[in-house]
Amino acid sequence: MKNALLSFSTGKPRLVYVLTALFVIVTGALIPRIHIDTDPENMLPVDQPDRVFHNQVEADFGLRDAIVVGVVNDGPDGIYNPVTLGSLHRVTAAISNIEGVIPPDLMSLAVADNITQGEAGVLRFEWMMREAPTTRAQSAAIRDAVNRLPLLEDTLVSGDGKAAAVYVPIESKDRSYAIASTIGDLVADETEAGQWHVTGLPVAEDTFGHEMFVQMGISAPLAGLMIFLLMWFFFRNLRLVISPMIVAMVTVIGTMGLLIGMGFTVHIMSSMIPIFLMPIAVVDSIHILSEFADHYRRGDDARAVMRRVVGHLFKPMLFTSLTSAAGFASLLLTPIPPVRVFGAFVAFGILLAFLMTIVFIPAWVVRSSDRSLASLDRLREDAGIDSPLARFLRRLGRFAFSGTGRITLAAAVLVVVSVVGVLRIQINDNPVRWFKSDHRIQVADRVLNDHFAGTYDAFYVLTHDDPGAWTRFADEARALLAGQDTDARVAGLLDSAPDALDARLGDIIVAADDAAFDATDPGVADRYQRLMTLAEEAQVEARYFQRPAALAWIEEFQQALAETGLVGKSNALPDVVKVVNRELRSGESLDYVIPDTVPGVAQALLQYQSSHRPQDLWHMVTPDFSRTAVWLQLTSGDNQDMTRVMDAVDEWVADHPLPPGVNGRWAGKTYINVVWQGEMVAGMLYSLLGAFVVVFVMMVVLFRSIAWGMVAMLPLTFTIVGVYGFIGWIGKYYDMPIAVLSSLTLGLSVDFAIHFIQRCRELHAQLGSFEAMSVAMFEEPGRAISRNAIVIALGFTPLFLAPLVPYITVGGFMASIMVLSGAATLLLLPAVITLGRRWLFKDDSKTTEASHVTP
Amino acid sequence: MSLPDTLKMFTAVAALSVAASVCAQAPDADTIVERANLAAYYAGADGRSEARMRIFDAQGNEQRRQFTVLRRNPTPAGDQQFLVVFSQPADVRGTTFLVHKNVGGDDDRWLYLPGLDLVKRIAAGDKRTSFVGSHYYYEDVSGRRPDEDHHELVGTDDEHFQLRHRPVDPSSVEFAEYTTWIDRETWLPMRIEYRDASGRPIRRVEVQKVETIGGHPTVTASRISDLVGGGHTDMQFRFIDYDLGLPDGVFTERALRNPPADWLERPGS
Repeated sequence: MKNALLSFSTGKPRLVYVLTALFVIVTGALIPRIHIDTDPENMLPVDQPDRVFHNQVEADFGLRDAIVVGVVNDGPDGIYNPVTLGSLHRVTAAISNIEGVIPPDLMSLAVADNITQGEAGVLRFEWMMREAPTTRAQSAAIRDAVNRLPLLEDTLVSGDGKAAAVYVPIESKDRSYAIASTIGDLVADETEAGQWHVTGLPVAEDTFGHEMFVQMGISAPLAGLMIFLLMWFFFRNLRLVISPMIVAMVTVIGTMGLLIGMGFTVHIMSSMIPIFLMPIAVVDSIHILSEFADHYRRGDDARAVMRRVVGHLFKPMLFTSLTSAAGFASLLLTPIPPVRVFGAFVAFGILLAFLMTIVFIPAWVVRSSDRSLASLDRLREDAGIDSPLARFLRRLGRFAFSGTGRITLAAAVLVVVSVVGVLRIQINDNPVRWFKSDHRIQVADRVLNDHFAGTYDAFYVLTHDDPGAWTRFADEARALLAGQDTDARVAGLLDSAPDALDARLGDIIVAADDAAFDATDPGVADRYQRLMTLAEEAQVEARYFQRPAALAWIEEFQQALAETGLVGKSNALPDVVKVVNRELRSGESLDYVIPDTVPGVAQALLQYQSSHRPQDLWHMVTPDFSRTAVWLQLTSGDNQDMTRVMDAVDEWVADHPLPPGVNGRWAGKTYINVVWQGEMVAGMLYSLLGAFVVVFVMMVVLFRSIAWGMVAMLPLTFTIVGVYGFIGWIGKYYDMPIAVLSSLTLGLSVDFAIHFIQRCRELHAQLGSFEAMSVAMFEEPGRAISRNAIVIALGFTPLFLAPLVPYITVGGFMASIMVLSGAATLLLLPAVITLGRRWLFKDDSKTTEASHVTP
Repeated sequence: MSLPDTLKMFTAVAALSVAASVCAQAPDADTIVERANLAAYYAGADGRSEARMRIFDAQGNEQRRQFTVLRRNPTPAGDQQFLVVFSQPADVRGTTFLVHKNVGGDDDRWLYLPGLDLVKRIAAGDKRTSFVGSHYYYEDVSGRRPDEDHHELVGTDDEHFQLRHRPVDPSSVEFAEYTTWIDRETWLPMRIEYRDASGRPIRRVEVQKVETIGGHPTVTASRISDLVGGGHTDMQFRFIDYDLGLPDGVFTERALRNPPADWLERPGS
């Protein structure tokens, strides 16, 4: 196959060009169909139980993703001054008119309802601020009103009165970036009011998607340019160094085109495919060019030299590609769909890059004129063999093959230090942290969470289930009506078990009421009356969260949440009931209690529904009162913090068991992030171990030796432990990008080892002595590896300028992987090979003895 | 405004003035509103009816309410009294509203909550708050005073007078204007559509069924829809009776705790 490919590429270079161009055009044409997906929810499969439940809860309670707009005024009156409140009023009205916003669910002081006691204990429902106040006294009156309403305080206005918030529910999170930008323009004219901030998870996600798209157009090409310049520095031949760039471009366009064309969305992970593929695509080309440059002499037949170069690089290149691909393909073992797509397509891209490298590069070089290749000759004479790098590598080689003890000891110490670092790794993630700390989203997030109870939501959802309720009722009902010619409507309603108990009982009440009225026989009428009463009793009983005892449990639960200090605030049904009860009675805090009967609670809630915003009730409890949600506001979206809250709740619930028939379950975006992160950590470990085993088997097959296979695993093991140890020591959180980078580490760091070992054995066989091999290894092979390491490490420095942390992380990883695996390959491998030469080179005992005599 | 729009408007206005001159007998807007107010809220000297309300939210959840309304209006288009007593759901049974509608000033409203053993005055304040969680406002139940809007007759067809109403005090309501379609025979408003300042429809009332009871054309089924947030409320009226001779005492604060069972009972039961 190798020969067929080579004769094709060197024999029909024009055809190679045409086919390459065709492939790029076809796949490139698919790219405009791109669909960006930044929803972290998609980190879980659609049918994942927690995701299904979360969506059910969102549907049940009509919960929407919300943009959070905040204004901060540090003046003496805080936001309670006519200017800020006027501004808040205008901005709220303008936001309601933005397409895609859901006005009835918008929360702001400007559209909040106030329940108060008027003069002489008159109950009053009125808008908190139908019109903006014009005086300081009016503003102060609003402050006093807000401070009486626990559902508003610290949610719509901060406890210190310095900040006000507007929660803007939106129809679709895909539009949150556009809506947030419109809001940004609106508040730009309202600077007198204070400092405005716009944040919220949907904005963070959509902004991330937007900037990610921009970065695909900036960071990846910049990295490409940097790599190009570095290659030009090493090879001083413009025509030659263009070819790896073409290989990289074709690989990226082909892979992304296929991904998009096959209907996959471009998720945060897949947006980084170009950045991952570029170094990998360039690495093989550099190996070829580096060797070609070292072997080519003026007047040589470029075709013959290229055949020779590719001939002996084919096997190591094939294996480095296969192992890198295996590293990424192992991501298919994770339970996270976008990561699977990412892994599969990077693996595909790696193989595509390999194919392109051995087909396109030779064709390109063969098509180059003798004159353009002549500069390579000069290059070698001028700098190639006597460059500072070449001289440094020779010294390094002598040290590597002689200082075995020191090197292995240092490596062992480093590994131990790194392992300690790995054990210190903090697993944590928060999409807002994917922005740099000075990004406006991060700033807004910090400021608003500093003032308010929190912009991160989680819901503890309590569901009451009484599976026997229907049967009990239906049996009694049938017994009551036995022997009577039952009304057809009533009979039909009693016939089958309902999906929704409350609604069915409501139907039965209506039907029984009508039947009782229509009945001519007073006895029959009486029985239907009794059926009606029976159904009413069953209905009241099923409306579990109207019971004072149930509310009391929730009240205690909320109290416990507050005492943990981990939760900014919790909002739930008891808060509503208590406020209404207080205002219905004295208006004093002694009446801020739950009424002691079911009708008391029901009637207080009927009053709450007589406000301007009756629908707000159903964000807390379902209309059949069988399910209620405690809304937790958290000041941090960090998974660690959410996990702490969950642990605290588990602990409290263990001591204060849920009432019989009630179960508690988490929902909300902050919780969903914890779920997929948990799956990812376990999944990545599994995937990494799987890849490790696969790569080891491939090494054993490649080198036909278990011993050499184990040696080949050393640099990647050292690099992975080193990189993650470093992360542990500097305290950087192990988040999704970092987790996924382990496959890149594995894939890239095995490359150098394969090339090194392959050449090492070849040279040993060729030169017939360990010493000669050890010298030769640090000539051309050493140069290829170190050039590669330098190009990749420096090539990705433009990523450090990106505003998105995952891009910076990738840049840092590339550099660390190159430094560590380069060092491990050029230092640790020689040392280990020297130590183990007895086993590694079995027919070499004679030269071994000699080497000790003459160093 | 584009030229074609202006032309259309002009043609419409011209057509309207022709129509107006043809139907010379068409009454003016204020007279229509007056007749409609009488037809919708003042049938008989008094009356009772039983309402069943089904409230559907945007998620499709349903809530039900059932209540009996007693009404008394000693003088046509004058002051009125309403007593609204809830019978369903069972947990709010006995909850009662009493409204004294004063044509010349603010209404007086009271509330009785048996579950909390509480009689409460409700401040006049805002009448455009939800009526017990439905899409009806308090004002829809007791009627909006005609002098609170400017009325304008904008069209007449075989069946309806079409009127446009603009609030005298725009800051007191959530709409910018509303249009009513008033039946030319019964004078009942058959359809009302509320629009916001940008002309977007925000709320719609539709009469679905009219029956003549005791000589009075009476709405027996209607629907009100929230066109912004979604959701609607269906209201059905049954057991309607007029001119019962309801005494004054039925509509006093004292009656709140002791609902007048005789008058609340269904006719014929």
